[in-house]
Amino acid sequence: MSKTFAVIRRELVERVRTKSFVISTMLVPVFMVIMAVVPALMMSGSSRSMRIGVVDGTSTGVGAKIEQTLNTQRLSEDSGATPRYIVTRVAASDRTDAVRDSLVKHTGLGKGGKAADALDGVLVVRDDVLHTGKLEYLGSNVGSFEAMGRLEGSLRQVITGTRFEADGIDPAVVARAMAPVSVSTTKVSDGEATGESGGASFIIAYLMGFILYFGVFMYGQQTMTSVVEEKTSRIMEVLASSLTPFQMLLGKVLGVGMTGLLQMGIWGGTVFLVTSQRARLAGLFGLSPDAIQSLPIPSMAPDLLVVFLVYFALGFLLYGALFAAIGSMCNTVQETQQYASAVMMLIVFGFFGVFAMINDPTGGLGVTMSFIPFFSPFVMPVRWSLAAVPPLELALSLGLMLIALMGTTWLAGRIYRTGILMYGKKPTWGEVWRWVRAG
Amino acid sequence: MPHPAVRVEHVTKRFSGHTAVHDLTMEVQAGGIFGLLGPNGAGKSTTIRMIMDIIEPDEGKVVLFGATGSGRQLSERVGYLPEERGLYKKMKVLDHLIFLAETKGIRRADARKRATAWLDRLGISDWAQKKVEDLSKGMQQKVQFAGALLHDPELVILDEPFSGLDPINSQVMRDVVVDIAKSGRTVLFSTHIMEQAERMCDRIVIIARGKTVVDGTVADVKRDFGGRHVALSFTHDTEKAGRVLADRHLVAKVDDYGATAEVEMATGADPEDLLTRLVREGVGLKRFEVVEPSLQSIFIAKVGDAAIAPATGDEVGP
Repeated sequence: MSKTFAVIRRELVERVRTKSFVISTMLVPVFMVIMAVVPALMMSGSSRSMRIGVVDGTSTGVGAKIEQTLNTQRLSEDSGATPRYIVTRVAASDRTDAVRDSLVKHTGLGKGGKAADALDGVLVVRDDVLHTGKLEYLGSNVGSFEAMGRLEGSLRQVITGTRFEADGIDPAVVARAMAPVSVSTTKVSDGEATGESGGASFIIAYLMGFILYFGVFMYGQQTMTSVVEEKTSRIMEVLASSLTPFQMLLGKVLGVGMTGLLQMGIWGGTVFLVTSQRARLAGLFGLSPDAIQSLPIPSMAPDLLVVFLVYFALGFLLYGALFAAIGSMCNTVQETQQYASAVMMLIVFGFFGVFAMINDPTGGLGVTMSFIPFFSPFVMPVRWSLAAVPPLELALSLGLMLIALMGTTWLAGRIYRTGILMYGKKPTWGEVWRWVRAG
Repeated sequence: MPHPAVRVEHVTKRFSGHTAVHDLTMEVQAGGIFGLLGPNGAGKSTTIRMIMDIIEPDEGKVVLFGATGSGRQLSERVGYLPEERGLYKKMKVLDHLIFLAETKGIRRADARKRATAWLDRLGISDWAQKKVEDLSKGMQQKVQFAGALLHDPELVILDEPFSGLDPINSQVMRDVVVDIAKSGRTVLFSTHIMEQAERMCDRIVIIARGKTVVDGTVADVKRDFGGRHVALSFTHDTEKAGRVLADRHLVAKVDDYGATAEVEMATGADPEDLLTRLVREGVGLKRFEVVEPSLQSIFIAKVGDAAIAPATGDEVGP
């Protein structure tokens, strides 16, 4: 046992010491903080009024109505807040295009510095707007989905309202009918509201799917490569004289797995910290807590973190043993590709299962895949994050996983035993099968 | 009677079609230096791997220390330097030695002490914190040598231990091997360089094509080989010597090394006649000595010229 422990320690310590491990482990949390803070910083930049020039080519007064509606909009709920829009309306019934062009010159679109009173955009309203429902907006900020969505919403309200009124419907009725509707989503788990928004669980599900996929893939490959390296550097023979093949396999897979788990733990912990400390983080970057709170930052509940790490560990052991066995069969990294592609296919299928699960968290395909050992490491944590999973089903999924793990380890151990001392041409599948059955 | 350190009983090993070792039986007594000799491809490494339980024999069995356990179960008592040297390239030298000691069941703190002591002894303690890949090939070999001996094994198995070493390093390791034997422990080493075996070994086995050819103490082997041998060194007119040595009434066999030669006298011929003939021909002689047959000539006679590797010195690799 202490010998296996020595192998595990060597794998873990030597791996953690590499530059690539340190850099990749540090970069992800930094990236995560940036992801949380930068959008908030950008949003806070949009808390100024937007200057719009309205080229009014109408004779029906729709342009004036638009000006009126836009002027009532505020940046936040209270009535004393900064107006969202500063509107300059220019009546231009017969020379719409000429006025538009001259106003465009005053927007940020032109070359040279932008004056303080420069327009952010020019809105063109033509006489046929009620009929066609078409308006034209030229601006420096058309790329902002949020600003454009808001503007379009307001304009739709004005146009629709005016159409109703033109058909003789009481403006009061129209106003009541047009009152805004919104749906707020909150995830329910075990009959309790979790406080997570739908958007956040969606993002966390995606993120986990990717990290599990990458983690198993990357660390699996590392296991395989390091077995091949032990063969080519001939250290294998020294090891084989003191350790049983099974001790070597176990030490290798557990050592690499713990390295991965450590990295995942650091990453998962960072997500957890970033979300639970978001207010403090906001203060650090001079943002109002509201600004950062309003973002759909993935929040990672402690129970999800545990499920995630358990499935990563089991999934890695399952695939790690297979990758190690493949490594033992080959003499060069190139040679491994042929055999590894079969295993990678399973991983990719599991990854597809994540999408099936995200599409329909209670659907048959995703739920079934959350029980199949080779797929459940990817699918189950995602399922846990999106829907309520009965404890019995979790236990079943874990149980099946453990059975598969024992089978795979046995199989891998048998291949490893013979493979590590085989040099020369790579074996056929038939030969590998003979290794498994031998002795 | 103590148990022999190693007993190989009627062992046969086949690899896809060809027989690497055929019905080999040998015994290594506890204590002293035992040489496993043979030309390249004779089955030396295969035999050693079977002794170490890295591969299993198809037939026969290997017994270590008269105990029932396999080589790996007894690995705490055995040190092994494989023919193909291998270390983790990215590890620091000291860490690597500690790890190797741990795989032999030595506790970490103790392993560190032993590793430091060995690095001192081999004169590479300045390199303890360097990565293995930064060391020269010779130094790497020293590290691996230390790794095989860290746990004070009672049996040390070295496969071609001196290949690839310069004379100075070779001497350092030879001293270590001799010290181990002096302390009553057993060294089994393989080589195809006969001078080395002749100088160091108490007992030898020569195998060729997977079979035992010669077995016994070095003295016995020489006596049994018999014949009168003369060692010659020339200074000039070597080609004239060739004519004299070609006389089959006088000389039965010549191992010609150019400036030196070892000849086996023909039956009934007198070494003094040979000396007279050589002097009369005007051959420049530096040495003329009636000697015991060297292992080299025994080896060549027994194994056959075709199978021998060029033996220009200690430093010939496989």
